[in-house]
Amino acid sequence: MTLAVAPRARIRRDAHTQRPHLPWALDVAEGLSRGASTVDEAVARAELESRMGWLRDALQGSPYYVRVLREAGLHPGDLQRLEDLRHFPALDRATLARHWEDVPTLPDASDECVVVKSSGTTGDPVNVLRDRRDCLLMWAVLRFFTEHTGTVPPPRPRVVLLDVLPGGLEYSVRLPLFHDGALHRVSVLRDDAVARLLRVRASVVFSDPEGLRWLLEHPEVPAPRLLLTSAQHLPRALRDAWEHGRGVPVLNYYAATETGPLAWECREDANPGHFHVLTPDVWLEPDGDEVVVTRLRPSVLPLLRYRPGDTGAVRRDACACGFHGWTLTGFGGRGACAFRTPAGRSVDAWSLAWVFKHHPLRAFRLTQVSLEHFTLELSGAPPDSVRPLCERLTAALRNLGWSSPRVERVVEAREAEARPPNAKPLPFRSELPSSG
Amino acid sequence: MAISLAHLRDQLAASPIVSPYPHDLAVAIICDTFRQGSQKPPSQSEWDRIEKGVKNPLFREQVGMLAHVLVASELRKKTVLYLTADRTPMARLQQFFEEVNPLTAEMIRSNAFRQEEFLRKWASALGADIEGETERESKERLKALDYRQAVTDLRKVEEARKQEAERRTKMLQEAQQKDAEARGWRE
Repeated sequence: MTLAVAPRARIRRDAHTQRPHLPWALDVAEGLSRGASTVDEAVARAELESRMGWLRDALQGSPYYVRVLREAGLHPGDLQRLEDLRHFPALDRATLARHWEDVPTLPDASDECVVVKSSGTTGDPVNVLRDRRDCLLMWAVLRFFTEHTGTVPPPRPRVVLLDVLPGGLEYSVRLPLFHDGALHRVSVLRDDAVARLLRVRASVVFSDPEGLRWLLEHPEVPAPRLLLTSAQHLPRALRDAWEHGRGVPVLNYYAATETGPLAWECREDANPGHFHVLTPDVWLEPDGDEVVVTRLRPSVLPLLRYRPGDTGAVRRDACACGFHGWTLTGFGGRGACAFRTPAGRSVDAWSLAWVFKHHPLRAFRLTQVSLEHFTLELSGAPPDSVRPLCERLTAALRNLGWSSPRVERVVEAREAEARPPNAKPLPFRSELPSSG
Repeated sequence: MAISLAHLRDQLAASPIVSPYPHDLAVAIICDTFRQGSQKPPSQSEWDRIEKGVKNPLFREQVGMLAHVLVASELRKKTVLYLTADRTPMARLQQFFEEVNPLTAEMIRSNAFRQEEFLRKWASALGADIEGETERESKERLKALDYRQAVTDLRKVEEARKQEAERRTKMLQEAQQKDAEARGWRE
């Protein structure tokens, strides 16, 4: 097995610097709890609008927005109510990719910012500037998710990122923001994965459907108290096997690199595909058929009417699960695709997405033509990066169960098939007949 | 008697402007409005004085847009009701055109906020009440909408941001320079 296909990772080990942000994390979690239980829509809207003061200031500090608003005869002070948003220009992924340096505000001199690259699997890759709290947000949201699902973490809980990606990256760090716990990244590709999980005894596990399936096949590993995944297509049978078979709640959330977490899928059996929005941190505009996000949580990167390229409709909802707020339905744009290994195993094609993140290109499409044969269409890739990309992809396929995969470059990217306007391209495809 | 902005905007949306009003026609519409309120409108020379006084290249298109909003909505009727004798038409027009200075006809036509600002500034020049608002609320809303002030503020913020970015770049360069000097040299 070749595990050396992952690029070098830079892991922050100064986890003690998280601690000063604990009051903020508690405040975020409490705000989300309040947002999910506010029955009165007017009160919920007032809470959202009370956060617009920050957004107005941030827009003033963003060279991109200052220019765009001036060109449109607008100014940040015009933004007083949620209804005002529709008069403001939207920001799409490609524009953010082009102007990523101009959209952020000037960070505080003491703030440590990092640039994160979104995958680029569903359009232009985007450089995203994140401040420290952007980087820590998921742990604050996890506190909300545990509370929402009635999960009680033990003292010093262990959180595991169960990794099925071909890179085999592993690390361990302290996690003060989550009840003084620790975070372990464990790769299922390593021979000692089960032994490591037995040692760690995770309370919370993050993984994709492949990882959840793998974990299900290893009953000797103690079941966690909560499972989280951000897969758009979480197979129903897999969810049921965990929820009803093992009694572990599975929380499927929707997030983007640019925005952070946006919503989570309702766990009621009757409501598959209903994603409850994480207000008041974000506002997803109702009355459309496309996801349009305005982030109301302070960040170095103000996002006003950002269009991540996903489709879906948002409406006010009083859900049977007890949630009150706005719910996203008909969510789409990231087409599910399963590749089949020669042994007949089905592999989520999206587990290869990270490979493309580390190569400069505008778009790609990987198609499984036969069991061992893949075609790769690239757009905007420099000639000297094609060979390393194909090599990395081949190694990644080997790690996932293909014995002698062949990746063939197709020179010109074909036009994407018909899809709704503004929807993302579908980068993974299989031409194999469905296995039923 | 108060002016309903929502109603005015519905009326304006129903009667979009199709072409710019000739200046003389626009002036005539505004003058007629004052006459309907039994007030003597500004003379031609007084209009010239207003234009010279505001020193605004957008003056004529703003006159055209004022004429349009007067005839395409009930604003003309409301205006007549508020034309009290305590202020001259000249004073009201001078105040109005000074305050709407940076607004272009296109902004007033197509931008919801700038249209609202234009209408509110005319209401302010008349001393008219806005339906559903206290006087204080109307003043606050007008202040929040004020495009001229916002552009000035944005310029200041942008300038401050540039200076801060330059300061940080300079600090970074100095730190790099010190770092390089501390390494010594090889003969």
